Amino acid sequence: MSDNQTSSAGDVHSSSKHSLSEEHVLENDVEQTAEQATDQKTHFGFKQVEKEKKASLVANVFDSVAAKYDVMNDLMSMGVHRLWKRFTIDCSGVRAGNKVLDIAGGTGDLTAKFSRLVGPTGRVTLADINLSMLQVGRDKLRDRGLVSNIDYVQADAEALPFPDNHFDVVTMAFGLRNVTEKQNALNSIYRVLKPGGRLLVLEFSKPTSEQLSKLYDMYSFHLLPKMGQLVANDAESYQYLAESIRMHPDQDTLKGMFEEAGFEQCDYQNLTGGIVALHRGYKF
Amino acid sequence: MPASALFAATLEASINKLLALDSDSKARLNALDGSRMTAFLSPIPFGITLVFSDKVDVLIEHGDFEEVKAQLGAKDCCIKTSLDTLPALKETSQLTRLIQQKALYLEGELNVAQQASSLFKDLDIDVEELIAIRTNDVFAHQSMKTVKAIHEKSMSMFANMGDVFGNALVEEKKLAAHKLAVMHFSDEVSALRDSTERLDARLRDLEERLK
Ligand SMILES: C[S@@+](CC[C@H](N)C(=O)[O-])C[C@H]1O[C@@H](n2cnc3c(N)ncnc32)[C@H](O)[C@@H]1O
Repeated sequence: MSDNQTSSAGDVHSSSKHSLSEEHVLENDVEQTAEQATDQKTHFGFKQVEKEKKASLVANVFDSVAAKYDVMNDLMSMGVHRLWKRFTIDCSGVRAGNKVLDIAGGTGDLTAKFSRLVGPTGRVTLADINLSMLQVGRDKLRDRGLVSNIDYVQADAEALPFPDNHFDVVTMAFGLRNVTEKQNALNSIYRVLKPGGRLLVLEFSKPTSEQLSKLYDMYSFHLLPKMGQLVANDAESYQYLAESIRMHPDQDTLKGMFEEAGFEQCDYQNLTGGIVALHRGYKF
Repeated sequence: MPASALFAATLEASINKLLALDSDSKARLNALDGSRMTAFLSPIPFGITLVFSDKVDVLIEHGDFEEVKAQLGAKDCCIKTSLDTLPALKETSQLTRLIQQKALYLEGELNVAQQASSLFKDLDIDVEELIAIRTNDVFAHQSMKTVKAIHEKSMSMFANMGDVFGNALVEEKKLAAHKLAVMHFSDEVSALRDSTERLDARLRDLEERLK
């Protein structure tokens, strides 16, 4: 890792190749077949957009929600996200002295706890593609007196700026569904994990019962954007969040993607009826 | 899941709230900084780990005693017993038998267990003053009763835990160097009992006056 990519408990260091405010223009100087054109598209919620545009569109969403992110998280999940995150930490097996990467760590909920669990001999890296989220996270953690063992890095999960075999544990909570090429992110995480290390991905998933699924759809497509409008004055971002949840691979598909990246002993646990799932895989 | 996570969250919040009420607990917590204690208490279906730093984090252990034992660090300890056996641990003479009967397992740094029990049993919270500040009305009467009961229960539990780990150190590990510390520790427990009784009398008195 080059020096300018790490920071000690303070400044956020950028390694992202995306300029967050920059509009990405798809160069279209070659005539494309219909198939090629589809290849270069991906979903942004329910919309189809050019792959190269997705990162900046996602960046806009999180720029827009950053300030109210924590409040909205509590409100939208009625506080249950804290329990899902707690379960993730319980399954992480983190010990004193470990090196932990919390990728797409946003406002640092997992990082805060990891920082205490790894202690002064360990290190936690809070990485996110979005500077606004990282800044909210850094301010929050500093206010809680958590400074000595946390690094803040602006980074894209698809191209992690860390050496091979570096981390004991990598976590990604509610981040993977926003990534353009999810398989690239999993491959990149595999590379930076130490042999014996584990990856935990906490993400919205597919409810296991039809009934719950209907109820959940009603909630996320009708109530959630309204709450977003009311509290954060931003219905659109919350509409995207609901749509992106629906477009995310289901439990077994994601498990298959873990295996494709090289992870072993992959499993998942449905939480709250499959509204959320925790996937786990090891690198041996 | 969320049941165990909710349990851990509640326990963690309560522990840290209690510790925050006693400014002296900081020093005792400092002594434990960086250590962890795991307890498997059947029939509770999971282990409970307390991780000590500038606060106490509670984790749920989904692995079993053997797995935790295999990963014990230099400042960690782990115990396994049943809730039913806890009262029997009071008797020093029972410890060897319980271990032999495989009703009690102790592994790792037992000083951590001892310090952890003193973290809680030495809590010095002026319950009376807290109630006076916060209520000052008819609710005081009912809440006094509840607080008194909880206080008594928790104090006797932690004093009991202190005895257990103190005894384990002397009885099982034959660590003579700790003997004096344990005797001092027992004195402290007796002193605590006395002060609990005094507090009890004061609470009764206050309760009478509120009637
Ligand atoms: C819903 S938030 C989750 C934040 C935090 N992990 C939590 O659970 O509260 C999703 C985060 O993923 C980040 N993100 C999106 N795409 C990313 C990428 N390609 N690489 C890294 N982070 C990304 C966003 O900036 C945002 O902070």
